[in-house]
Amino acid sequence: MLFNIIRNDWRNLRADRSLWIIGALLAVLIGYGVHNGGAWVRFQQDTLTQAAEEEAGRLTLIKTSIESANAGRANPPSWRDPRNPFAVGNTQAAHYVSMPPAPLAALAVGQSDLLPYYFKLSLKSRDTLLGNDEIENPVHLLSGRFDLAFVIIYLFPLLVLALSYNLISSEKEDGTLAMTLSQPVRLGTLAWGKAGFRALFILALSTLISLAGTLASGVNLSAAGASPRFLLWVAVVAAYGAFWFAAAVAVNALGRSSATNAIALAGLWLGFVLLIPALLNVTVKALHPVPSRVELIQAMRVASDDITRQRSQLMAKYLEDHPEFAAATDDSMAQYAIRTAAILDELDRRVQPVLATFDEQLTLQQAMVDRYRFLSPAILVQSALYDLAGTNLYRYRHFLHLTEQFHAAWRTHFEPLIARNVRLTPAHINSLPRFHFQEEPFQAVFTRTTAALAGLGLSALLAAALSAWWLRRYPVAA
Amino acid sequence: MLATIVRKEFTEMMRDGRFRSSAAITMALLLGAFALGWQHYSEVNAQHEAARKSTRQDWLHQGDKNPHSAAHYGVYAFKPKMPLSLVDHGVDPYVGVASWLEAHKQNEFRFKPAQDATAIQRLGEMTGATVLQLLIPMLIVLLTFPAFSSEREQGTLRQLLSLGVRPAQLAWGKALGIALALSVLLVPATLLGSAALALSADQGAMAASWPRAAIMALGYLAYFAFFVAISLAVSAVAPSSRFALVALLGVWIFNGLVVPKAVSDIARLLHPTPSAMEFARQIEHDIENGINGHDTTDQRAEELKQRLLKQYNVDSVEKLPVNFNGIRMQEGEEHGNDVFDKHYTALWQTFERQRQVHELAALAAPVLAVRSLSMSMAGTDFAQHAHFAKAAEEYRRVLNRKMNLEIAHHQKPDDSGFTRGEDFWATMPDFQYTAPDLAWILSRQRLSLALLAGWMVASLVAMAAAAGKMRV
Repeated sequence: MLFNIIRNDWRNLRADRSLWIIGALLAVLIGYGVHNGGAWVRFQQDTLTQAAEEEAGRLTLIKTSIESANAGRANPPSWRDPRNPFAVGNTQAAHYVSMPPAPLAALAVGQSDLLPYYFKLSLKSRDTLLGNDEIENPVHLLSGRFDLAFVIIYLFPLLVLALSYNLISSEKEDGTLAMTLSQPVRLGTLAWGKAGFRALFILALSTLISLAGTLASGVNLSAAGASPRFLLWVAVVAAYGAFWFAAAVAVNALGRSSATNAIALAGLWLGFVLLIPALLNVTVKALHPVPSRVELIQAMRVASDDITRQRSQLMAKYLEDHPEFAAATDDSMAQYAIRTAAILDELDRRVQPVLATFDEQLTLQQAMVDRYRFLSPAILVQSALYDLAGTNLYRYRHFLHLTEQFHAAWRTHFEPLIARNVRLTPAHINSLPRFHFQEEPFQAVFTRTTAALAGLGLSALLAAALSAWWLRRYPVAA
Repeated sequence: MLATIVRKEFTEMMRDGRFRSSAAITMALLLGAFALGWQHYSEVNAQHEAARKSTRQDWLHQGDKNPHSAAHYGVYAFKPKMPLSLVDHGVDPYVGVASWLEAHKQNEFRFKPAQDATAIQRLGEMTGATVLQLLIPMLIVLLTFPAFSSEREQGTLRQLLSLGVRPAQLAWGKALGIALALSVLLVPATLLGSAALALSADQGAMAASWPRAAIMALGYLAYFAFFVAISLAVSAVAPSSRFALVALLGVWIFNGLVVPKAVSDIARLLHPTPSAMEFARQIEHDIENGINGHDTTDQRAEELKQRLLKQYNVDSVEKLPVNFNGIRMQEGEEHGNDVFDKHYTALWQTFERQRQVHELAALAAPVLAVRSLSMSMAGTDFAQHAHFAKAAEEYRRVLNRKMNLEIAHHQKPDDSGFTRGEDFWATMPDFQYTAPDLAWILSRQRLSLALLAGWMVASLVAMAAAAGKMRV
């Protein structure tokens, strides 16, 4: 019997022309989304390649300049002398630290259009890192990008709902329900047969969406960590589809008309996808407000003024701005370098607590979002997909943390050279510290995404339980 | 007859529990969004006002130093907020809040507020603009889709028309009835919004805000009219209420979610922007090598020296009646300004072309037209950000010029201890920004205005036509 129901349903589905139109539309949307995500990843990769090339060229130039200065062919002023460790560490050999796109980055642009993915790092104080944004039209940031994650979070539920909002109600409205039930079949068998078949259909669809997206974007599934991430991705999308499908069955089980079902489900969608996230965002910001950046600017200025005042001999200040104006001997240059390095250290020490408050508040915000994301399946999916794609706040902050460590290492490397006024050789340039991005441990990603997955699974189960409960009292007669 | 239909629709809607509850929710969200917007506006404005004063004080009390050191010290420019930004934050979360105006360099605006937020910000923000652009249209769709189709399904449509009511008249009556019901929601919200506006702004800003508020309100009304008319049109021709609903939800999603995002990517595809690294590198290259590519900094300095020596008829820089370093630095500034102008003009032209793609895309989705109009009236669109950025840059140039000329005319070549103090810093007037006037803003919104009006008229015509062709 169950087989008959399924076969009948399949024939119905196949005959429904709108389904194929929706399917074709979905394929176009996925293709477009994946293309955009892929283009963005390539843009980032190209930029990082250019950065590496530019840096390599610069280092070679430093080495040849050292040689020509040693040979007496050139006589650069000391503030530009490639043998001067301060000039090299502060500007000439500035090193790009970068966070390359993760294997699945093309599937979800996430926050990566807003947050920096590389820094040009030198002895300069840490706050100079803050302004390193990619160029992007703010209107585009406002609209957000059309990527696969968008298709999944917003449009995929609508497709599921279009397939299922009148699952039972249409049978009732067409009069076929009473007729079918006059056969030796129970309503439960009929409902679950239809539902089970469509659930399988939706599951297959969600896998297909992810797989098609992954293949089309040229994601390399053999890259380190790519395949477990991809499997989690598929599981998350399937659980999201299951939730929406179960919700549609539950609404159907209440026995209202198809139009009422559609309104109810549209309302649910609006609530979960738009309203709850917006309200949570507002609440989180109100409870853990990030201090004003305008005040940060003022605080940094006060700090640097204070430091300047501590040794504000006019001549010194002037020289600091333009050491080239003084007939700088190597010794005075060394003094200048040491003093500047000390100032930068002090500035970082003063600004650090202020920067830390931003970090703390944002951590609190993220913790609250993580806690309350279970209020809406859409937030769960968003957090999981961005996490798997490596385009969320967590990976960025991991990168920031590594950057700060490297910044400290860079300073530790240069400070003794500056203090001892070492004349750099090409060998020094070859042995500069290099930054290597260490991926965030997969364990952390796994823990966060499986929590989201569990939340999605539970929501789906809850909706399914409701459907079962309501189906038992389904009014077959109108 | 029309009045009877309007009254019937209005009464029916007011008695409908679904309308009452959804209208109450929408109203609560709208007022909540206004309240939050108002709080945000007053807070940010107070901060910026304080910061503006403090950066001026810092400038005045920076102590005695060489004018060029003072130029390096510089000042900060903080973009003021307009009162109407409480309705629509526009691109404000996605542009930096402040720019450092220092020697040698046109700095980007730093610190985008959205960077200090979690990813759910990207799912949606609870602002007046969200409610007005997305939620109210959804409310309209949910209320209006059964207008004709359910009358047909219940058999009342045939009866009505047998009374001699013309279909078009019926459509207009229904549209007005729905509009009246919506006004129960919108009029109090507008009044409270205006009260918030009146509370938050000083007299001058207020006077400028009223006409903008009125235009913004008219824009939103036209946008709502489009949704009412299109919903009635679909309801009239749809084979069933169910069909009408699904079709209208499709319109809503396409308009509100799909097109705005899709257009961003198309605009970038058509008019790509350079990477920040490439942009910076080109500027650096041009500053070093000259815009034409073969005047290096050293060559330019040498040429300047020869020119000055010739002009004053002396044989060494020390004998010049002016300070060579001051002149050289000002020449450097002016060369830098040309380079910055070249590259920023090109970048902003690309942004402008991207904006035109968005504007044209309003042909597919009226939300883009109303969004553009709304942001511009709220003073939160990119054009007004760029206007401020240009004014700040202009101030930076004036400041640098003043400092360099002071050196050029007053510093003796051998006087390395040359300084100026507070008296001189005070002769540099404070940075006063005048926001563009309404005519300036409106001239950039012509297409959006036309498209919005076009959508409204077209949807009303479609409504009347659909009613005429309605199946009974």
